[in-house]
Amino acid sequence: MKLPLSWLSDYVDIGDITPQELSDKLLSIGFEVEEIIPPRDDIKGVVVGKVEDIVRHDNSDKLWVCKVNIGSSLVQIVTGAQNVKKGDCVPVATVGAKLPDGTHIKPAKLRGVDSFGMMCGGSELGVDDDIIDGASFDGILILPSDSTVGEDIMVTLGLNDTVLDVSITANRPDCQAIVNLAREISVLLNKPFKMPKLTYKTYSVCTTTIPSVKITEKDLCSRYIGRVISNIKIEKSPKWMRDRLRMCGIRPINNLVDITNYVLLEIGQPLHAFDRKFIDGGINVRKGVKNERITALDGKEYDVSDVLVIADDKKPLAIAGIMGGEYTSIFPDTETVFLEAARFERSNIRRTSRKIGLRSDSSARYEKGVDWHSTELGSARALALIDELNCGYICEKVVSDSIEPPQQKVIRTTKEEICSLLGIDIDKKTIVSILKKQEISVKSEGKTLVCTIPLVREDIDGYPDLAEDIMRFYGYDNIISTHSENTHQTRGYMSTHDENMQKVKDRLQALGADEILNYSFISPDAFDKLLLDEDDGWRKVIPIKNPLSRDISVMRTQLLYGMLTSISRNCARKNSTMRFYELGKAFVADNLPLESLPQERDILCIGLCNDGDFYTIKSVVSEVVGMFGQFKYTSSTAKYLHPKQSLHVEYGGIVGDFGKLHPLVCENFDLPENVYVAHFDVTEALNAAMPVSKYIPLSKQHPIDRDLALIVENSVPVGDMLSSLYKVSPYIVSVKLFDVYTGEQIAQGYKSVAFSVRLQPIDAPFSDSVIKEIMDKIIASAESEFGAKLR
Amino acid sequence: MNLSEIRIDSLKKIEELNSERDLAALKTYLFGKTGVLTGLMKGLKDLPPEQKPQAGKEINDLRVELMGLCEQKEKELHRMAIEQSINSQVIDLTIDRPDHAIGHAHPINQVRRRLTEYFVGNGYIVYDSPEIETDYYNFQALNVPPDHPARDMQDTFFITDNILLRTQTSSGQIRLMEKYKPPLKMICPGRVFRNDDDSTHSPVFHQMEGLVIDKNVTLCDLKGALEGFAKFIFGEETRIRFRPSYFPFTEPSVEVDVSCFNCHGSGCRVCKNTGWIEILGAGMVNRRVLSGCGIDPDEYHGFAFGVGLDRITMILCAINDIKLMWENDVRFLHMFK
Repeated sequence: MKLPLSWLSDYVDIGDITPQELSDKLLSIGFEVEEIIPPRDDIKGVVVGKVEDIVRHDNSDKLWVCKVNIGSSLVQIVTGAQNVKKGDCVPVATVGAKLPDGTHIKPAKLRGVDSFGMMCGGSELGVDDDIIDGASFDGILILPSDSTVGEDIMVTLGLNDTVLDVSITANRPDCQAIVNLAREISVLLNKPFKMPKLTYKTYSVCTTTIPSVKITEKDLCSRYIGRVISNIKIEKSPKWMRDRLRMCGIRPINNLVDITNYVLLEIGQPLHAFDRKFIDGGINVRKGVKNERITALDGKEYDVSDVLVIADDKKPLAIAGIMGGEYTSIFPDTETVFLEAARFERSNIRRTSRKIGLRSDSSARYEKGVDWHSTELGSARALALIDELNCGYICEKVVSDSIEPPQQKVIRTTKEEICSLLGIDIDKKTIVSILKKQEISVKSEGKTLVCTIPLVREDIDGYPDLAEDIMRFYGYDNIISTHSENTHQTRGYMSTHDENMQKVKDRLQALGADEILNYSFISPDAFDKLLLDEDDGWRKVIPIKNPLSRDISVMRTQLLYGMLTSISRNCARKNSTMRFYELGKAFVADNLPLESLPQERDILCIGLCNDGDFYTIKSVVSEVVGMFGQFKYTSSTAKYLHPKQSLHVEYGGIVGDFGKLHPLVCENFDLPENVYVAHFDVTEALNAAMPVSKYIPLSKQHPIDRDLALIVENSVPVGDMLSSLYKVSPYIVSVKLFDVYTGEQIAQGYKSVAFSVRLQPIDAPFSDSVIKEIMDKIIASAESEFGAKLR
Repeated sequence: MNLSEIRIDSLKKIEELNSERDLAALKTYLFGKTGVLTGLMKGLKDLPPEQKPQAGKEINDLRVELMGLCEQKEKELHRMAIEQSINSQVIDLTIDRPDHAIGHAHPINQVRRRLTEYFVGNGYIVYDSPEIETDYYNFQALNVPPDHPARDMQDTFFITDNILLRTQTSSGQIRLMEKYKPPLKMICPGRVFRNDDDSTHSPVFHQMEGLVIDKNVTLCDLKGALEGFAKFIFGEETRIRFRPSYFPFTEPSVEVDVSCFNCHGSGCRVCKNTGWIEILGAGMVNRRVLSGCGIDPDEYHGFAFGVGLDRITMILCAINDIKLMWENDVRFLHMFK
């Protein structure tokens, strides 16, 4: 909220505190100043001058020589402007002045005539018609004739005020009003608070009938006050009011509209002014009937079925609390005004505003909550301003309707209860005095403090709120650090899931993989790019109703898309080699649209780019998947993988595929062809305790190593053959491939497989015959299962 | 040659030796089966019995002396041989061949892990809570009823009218309190989502919720807990400051600032000249939240806090653009060892 310091000073004397000091103090009571908007500092030495004399320059058709009274002296100024007359008040940049464009004013001679300064136009001062009329005109800015000669132009133009942009938390809607913020500041600075003027004179005789007021929907509108003002003169509001509105970001319109906006800012009460002549019969606050429509001030037509409206006997006049109707608003020819001050229920305004898609300063204010008293305060303040500015005659009669006035909340608490929450001891006297300053009345009944809360503080509803209001002014710096000495010891731990996750990450990092993070939502185009079948389960995505963009509009069901996008981005930046992993959640809907929460699956995705070949990813996979126990590969049918270089893993809580990326997928993601990925659902595996490794006694016997070379057909899977050999004898502890050879000396269609076998005797050394027996068995087994021959 | 001639001759030969092979030959010449000293020993039997002990002793003394010298020489020569071979193994030490790269955790997760370990060490459990949530857990149970203005504080992504992407890890508080009885101490780290994307906001980011429920928990205990955490992360000299704020699920609510770790309070670019850096929001758990979860607010108090992990990471690692966190640029990832 914008808080001009001059406005604030009307209600509390802030003395000579600097804006920065005030901001720091406000921070300590919970109001963060987001910005201190300083006065304009780019105009120096420009004052109001009065043209006392003006004659043509002897040597020029275009120049004029003026004698200008600048208060302290009469100066001669030569000007080329043609719109200045004798008696005009104008801004004068005196010798030594500085203008926004950097110009420094020096004495000059124009065609032989001395000139001591310059008369300025609006553009030279960096102001326009919004700040003062005539400023946008191409020529000298003619100031109002009642301007004070010699006054600094910053003051005259109202550019000398500092404005604080204060952030108001959602619990303090009352402080969306300058008076209530002023009240807080008065407590903060220990200075008296002064209410704005609320008195006005009224006329008992009225030129018009006064409409009756009835609230049909009392749940949605608890209070409605109507006043009539006749003999209205619609004109411009005074400059001080326009300046203040402008500083708060509101464009001045006319006296009556400006007053309603002024009161909105000052008291926090939205008001609405209707032209009396368009009200037929009485005012009724009711819900719109079916197909009822209204054209609002923005010129658009709205369907108000079931929407709260202000209506007369025949038609809706306004969408309650949001916007008035176009035809009943104030026009220059308005003679009599019906002024509404009402209290609408905040959640209904919020709902309605979203439903019909219309917001206004008024609805924004109502959404935050307007308290009971503001209604009459706002009405009174508006009338006082109408009276002060002579806008019209205020009729004495008040028309209103309301629910029973709410009771002030009473909170019974004790000093002990408050201090037990805070953890420090504050004496009762201090507590009572701080609360009283905030207009909370406190009565002591023995140990009990009976606190009566003013209606404006709707946020207070228990002793913790009082504790907060005490601390705000007692000072949070008085809260000391304690270490839960009076609480239980607890045991901290991570779940099996989180522990396992950490182990997997550690393992991947040890394997050289960097962890990446991608958004949880992706593009719905992902699945075509991954070549997935039409009925692929991954296509069953959960869409977001209000996504930021199509690119991030559905929840991810897999992590490949993010992985490949990240690799592709790196490649585009000429980062050529990557070994990445992401361990994150994917979202699986059991049915769509979602009726209950979806499954959140833990997915491990690994990606290698220009980093080894199929066997590299296979070894990474086996290191990671192997953490969870023994496993087997089967052939993969994953569409996004190279059909000849991919495998599937499915066992004990891990399901997924890995291999070389399909060349078409590489093209779709703009990737080099050398990309290998793995994608596993590891949810169940992470939730199960990892097997604890057990010691197997080490033999004291020396192991025996033997090399073998077997000839097999080219199609024989070497890995399968070698691993099948383990079952030949329990003494075989390793079978290691060291060469696969085709070519000379090997028949066409065959290959030679050379490998090394290690035998481990357990209790006693093996005799040569035992070794030979095992080796023969190995050859026999390979022969019978894979058709192998000894080379 | 007599004994003393043999000695002088041998000493000279040992002295002149310069290879292990020559030494082996000398040893054979002296001590081998047909060696000089072996021959002398054999010759003893021809001496008169009364000379035998004396002569035997003299031969043996010489033998012991020469063997000692040979052994010493052997060590010397072996060391020289190794040194020679070392000198032939000169390589260019300025070349790098990084063929066993180490991977790194994402900086956010490095910070998350440090914090998690800190809190676990302080008796907190780590609790995982769903990222797709119901309106009830994300808002209503946290004292934000439908159409409450506090909903404007957080732009929400909706899946349906009732199901949404959680905007805060605070939903974990409710799920935990529904499941377990006090005393409770937990942290709930994870992803959160807001419909917001600009130079300082990412639609996905990370928070770590903290919750402590017990009898006698106070606002001072909250300060102690957060001060410990701030010192752990930002250094022992760090101070913290509470300022009043508002969150629907805590009362009183505070914003927590840490003294700037860069300038220690005197004002610098990191703290925008204020000496303080805002790092988290916290407060005493609202009584309505407690009773909504079946915990008697007259018996138990609690405190809660929510830390933005991305923000802490950016502050700690001096990362100036939130977009970097999600680009996964390998050069960026490799900066955080």
